[in-house]
Amino acid sequence: MATFERGNVKIEVDEDGFMAEPEKWNEEVALALASTENVMDMTEAHWKVANYLRNYYQQFGIAPMIRKLCKETGFSLKEIYDLYPSGPAKGACKVAGLPKPTGCV
Amino acid sequence: MSRNSRSYKAERVIERLTRKVNRQMALSLAACVHCGMCTEACHYVLANPDDPTYAPAYKADRIRRLFKRHMDWTGRVIPWWVKAGSIYTDEELNELMDTVFGKCTNCRRCSINCPMGVDFAVVNRMARGLLVSVGIMPEGVAVVSKDQWEIGNQMGVLKEEYLDTLDWMSEELQQELKDPAAIIPIDKMDCEVVYSINPREVKYDPRTIADAAKIFHIAGENWTMPSEGWDMTNFGLFSGDDDLGGAVARRLYEKVEELRGKKLVISECGHGYRSTRCEGPNWAKYDVPFVMESSVITMLRYIREGRLKVDKSKNTIPVTFHDSCNNARSCGLFEEPRELLSLVVEDFREMYPNRSENYCCTGGGGAMSMSEYTPRRLKSAIVKAEQLKATGAKIVVTSCHNCVDGLTDLIRHYKLDMQVAQLVNLTANALVVEARVAVPVEVPAAVPAVEAALPLHGRRILVVDDEPDILTFFSTVLGDNGASVTQAPDGATCMDLARKEKPDLITLDLSMPGMDGGKIFEALRNDPELAGIPVCIITGKPELRRLIYDRPVPPPEGYLDKPVNDETLLLNVRKILKLV
Repeated sequence: MATFERGNVKIEVDEDGFMAEPEKWNEEVALALASTENVMDMTEAHWKVANYLRNYYQQFGIAPMIRKLCKETGFSLKEIYDLYPSGPAKGACKVAGLPKPTGCV
Repeated sequence: MSRNSRSYKAERVIERLTRKVNRQMALSLAACVHCGMCTEACHYVLANPDDPTYAPAYKADRIRRLFKRHMDWTGRVIPWWVKAGSIYTDEELNELMDTVFGKCTNCRRCSINCPMGVDFAVVNRMARGLLVSVGIMPEGVAVVSKDQWEIGNQMGVLKEEYLDTLDWMSEELQQELKDPAAIIPIDKMDCEVVYSINPREVKYDPRTIADAAKIFHIAGENWTMPSEGWDMTNFGLFSGDDDLGGAVARRLYEKVEELRGKKLVISECGHGYRSTRCEGPNWAKYDVPFVMESSVITMLRYIREGRLKVDKSKNTIPVTFHDSCNNARSCGLFEEPRELLSLVVEDFREMYPNRSENYCCTGGGGAMSMSEYTPRRLKSAIVKAEQLKATGAKIVVTSCHNCVDGLTDLIRHYKLDMQVAQLVNLTANALVVEARVAVPVEVPAAVPAVEAALPLHGRRILVVDDEPDILTFFSTVLGDNGASVTQAPDGATCMDLARKEKPDLITLDLSMPGMDGGKIFEALRNDPELAGIPVCIITGKPELRRLIYDRPVPPPEGYLDKPVNDETLLLNVRKILKLV
């Protein structure tokens, strides 16, 4: 575990930079994490994706399938990758405060 | 120290060690002369020259000492001389875990560079398996293994979610090609190709599925994706748990057999390819009756056969190729991807060293799932980063999902100006879509139409006879009439094939060496799974009828005397199958 600090944000993260305590997530944390993911500006579209991931995670305890994410937010696969260059598993999930997805990703 | 002072877990590990060590491992454990060749081969050592604990020979010695102490006479007689030792506490087991999971990716580069033939990766995997058997493993490995045991794939993807995603990719493909026939067929029987994937593709990035579907469709392939048993990855390879390895591999094999697929094509994943094609049959103790092929070879074949037309001017960005350790070092798959690349990209630049001498992506051996070791992984990745940078390429292509993630991570960490792609992406991008009229579509479509008109079309018949001439004769007659025929020259093979194939009919000779026809018949009838299969007795010795009718089981559905001509055989078989 390591501590990640940016501005007023100070959180515990795992060695891959994912939140160790996802319950401490808030918008300020999301902005701080976004800056590590080459997302310089959190637009409305970015928030839509992050909030969907967040809600899904709170409900089911895992990250949703990319299919669900696209269907529910209305973004195409390409648009998701444009918003979060390192993809839904690493980029978007990290910003949304989810722990690192399991498996070889 | 006395036996009793060993912890329960340590006790189990020692006990299992003596059963796990096979000849290959014993050789690897006995043969090391500590010459140091392996140190130069390992990317961990190259990135940490001052830390001897990364040296393959040092790491191997953590396990070698146990072998010497518990399995080798030298360790009992002169333990201090051969550095024999044992393990007593759970802390020591955790230290071993840190070495075997956290300081080696099982990439086997040291193995192929060892002048004594020591395969350290095999020993390391064995040690991982011992620890896993007492519940000592990184959390990521535990979570993924549990999903593979319980849900059947390493990312816990549910069947509905999987099918929904494939439907989605079908829709996208139909739109892209403006062709309503461009779909991903699910569970289609008797296909040439059954396509298996890595769950990562369906869960997070299905673009590779769409690209593969496009390629199969344009090549006019008769293909399908299975609704279950589709995960060709295998955490058994990483965790050293052969039972998990066998369970996962078996799921795929059984599904392909159920679908009567002719070939299992494995998407671009190094460890999946090695596990499914090379290690799986041993773990699962399964005699795989179909062909297994990497999708790299499939794509190359289509281009060679003229089924795909590609235009390399569609991929102009400079590209280099990273050999996955499992593909190149363990399975010898390194010329085919280069040949394919030379057909689909304009500017290919070799990376040095390459092929079986290439350095690890640093994410192998399950490392991507073990966050606790990420800092070490990224530090060791400096070796790879320098190798990548020297090529001057802007895209690094690899035929492995693990490498994709390992490389993506290190490219970000070392701020390289590079993207990662797979061959399927570049091949799909280079496709010339109009060219699809050429050979394929009509041919496979025409064949089933003829077949369908044959009287025994789609029926599976098992022919049992000890005379090769009779086997050939019956198989030819039945096969020419559309049946798919398997042959068994004796009782044991018959029982085996009957269980595996579940044929629609069995023709059975009576007088055979070993288990005679009567005994086979009774065994078939007494097996709840096989009792319903109709049996036609075909014998040259009518006096042997008693072998059948004296038995306390229902009589056979048909009976024929040899010699039999083709018409009689066909008529009787059709009668039994109610096709007349």
